[in-house]
Amino acid sequence: MQEIKRRYVIPGDKIIEGNYKPLMNVVKSGNYLVSTRVGIAEAGKDGVKVIPLSGVYIPRVNDLVIGKIIDRSSLSWDVDINACFFAHLPAQDVFGRDFSPAKDDMGRQLSIGDLIIARIVSFDRTRDPMLTVQDKDLGKIPYGEFIKISPTRVPRLIGKRGSMIQTIEQATQTRVIIGQNGIVVVTGRDPDGLSLAAKAIKMVEEESHTTNLTQRVKTLLNVQDPVDPEQPESMNASSSTESSTQPQPDIESSTQPQPDIESSTSNNSKSGSGSKEKHRNDNSEESSNNDSNSDQKEKNQE
Amino acid sequence: MYNLKELALMDENGKRSDGRGIDELRSIKITVGVVKNADGSAYIEFGKNKIIVAVYGPREVHPKHMALPDRCVLRCRYHMSPFSTDTRKNPAPSRREVEISKVMRESLEPSLILSDYPRAVIDVFVEVLQADGGSRCAGINAASVALADAGINMRDLVSACAAGRLSDNIVLDINDLEDKEGDADMPVAYLPNLEQVTLLQLDGKVTTAQFSECLEKAISGCKSVYEIQKEALMKKYFGNEMELKEEA
Repeated sequence: MQEIKRRYVIPGDKIIEGNYKPLMNVVKSGNYLVSTRVGIAEAGKDGVKVIPLSGVYIPRVNDLVIGKIIDRSSLSWDVDINACFFAHLPAQDVFGRDFSPAKDDMGRQLSIGDLIIARIVSFDRTRDPMLTVQDKDLGKIPYGEFIKISPTRVPRLIGKRGSMIQTIEQATQTRVIIGQNGIVVVTGRDPDGLSLAAKAIKMVEEESHTTNLTQRVKTLLNVQDPVDPEQPESMNASSSTESSTQPQPDIESSTQPQPDIESSTSNNSKSGSGSKEKHRNDNSEESSNNDSNSDQKEKNQE
Repeated sequence: MYNLKELALMDENGKRSDGRGIDELRSIKITVGVVKNADGSAYIEFGKNKIIVAVYGPREVHPKHMALPDRCVLRCRYHMSPFSTDTRKNPAPSRREVEISKVMRESLEPSLILSDYPRAVIDVFVEVLQADGGSRCAGINAASVALADAGINMRDLVSACAAGRLSDNIVLDINDLEDKEGDADMPVAYLPNLEQVTLLQLDGKVTTAQFSECLEKAISGCKSVYEIQKEALMKKYFGNEMELKEEA
């Protein structure tokens, strides 16, 4: 297949003519493949896709998301996961199979306003997303700094093999929990570290499509890099078509594979050095909020 | 009376009341991402028209019975601020505003891939801050850019422009005076890449030949507007770079 040059596109732009397979955010129109989003068009072995630069979060099965409990019924909680649908967390998932609405008090486990990290177990066109917290490091997030970013920027924030987020964590002595839905929670003891991490995250969001971002983040965080861990050599071998949804032309992350997300637990230690488990996440992102709500920040302390 | 009117709308040199030529658009300026709380937004200055558009969604439908199981609902609200005209405009939705909301929705719908978002809704709010004729076209232009800014899947942008008749002359981009005193006004919305018309209204009388000329002129205006829309979106997302520079 003929390789096409990566380029900026807007909806309706003709990307390429010929018999190519339309992948993400691309439709066929006559003999052309046409972009449906503002973003960066690229072609791989499998077909042609557009990495979007804006849009709301569309839930996908197996995504790790951070949500806020907004309501509860007798059998489940409703969770706002920053998507166009509210998600449901069944009470049985938390209490076990012998849950009884008459005996068990759901309010003792999760109350309205709590933040949770959860995995989407099911979602399709006909049903709202269903969540689970039955996994290691899932559950309630007890405290932390809450930051909302555009979901399309999540892969960029994570960086290639988690490089960006590791840089931020190490430089600021914090733990950063990232949901695929664009919600980020930063925990740590040092208030200066927290605000610096928040600043770096904002910077990544705002400048995600620019080149040399990792270097600028390091400058912001005052990080000396003796040996740059991420050389452009790692134009990854793994699925280049599937991987990068992020906007930047920056080579470092343009093909960045699956971001590692550090999940949080309800019992993580205050120092932020609690158990870390790397979760592989598919970062192909369909849509997301645009920058509009990016500045929204709130503290969640318990 | 006829001569006076003609003199006011077009002089002997073929210049119109605001100094434009027959095929000249008013100056257009589009800014993307002006409403922080919206998912997508745009501000347009189309001559003296000043319009702000905010797009919310896809999001949950309220009331829920309005949701469609197979596709997204598009809601559009065109509203003129009380201070947008020379005499105070009653802020309650007028018959004209309800109609324009409907035609705007119908002109935007073909450009959107609504089946990608079942059971959800997309809200488009068009607020006219200052009106000077052709506000529905300007609103459609800004709404289309705002929808792209919101990251909603679209087949194409929608560009709109009006053409009309002043006596025997077919002119592009009718302003308020020409709309009121002229002989015909024809707003057209167009998908420039797909080459499809999504809105065509006509107020006034034209012959078949004049109709064809009017339509042709309006479509050429739409194509010019499209370039400005494209530039505005590119500027917001890619700065002044139009081409992606690959690193070695």
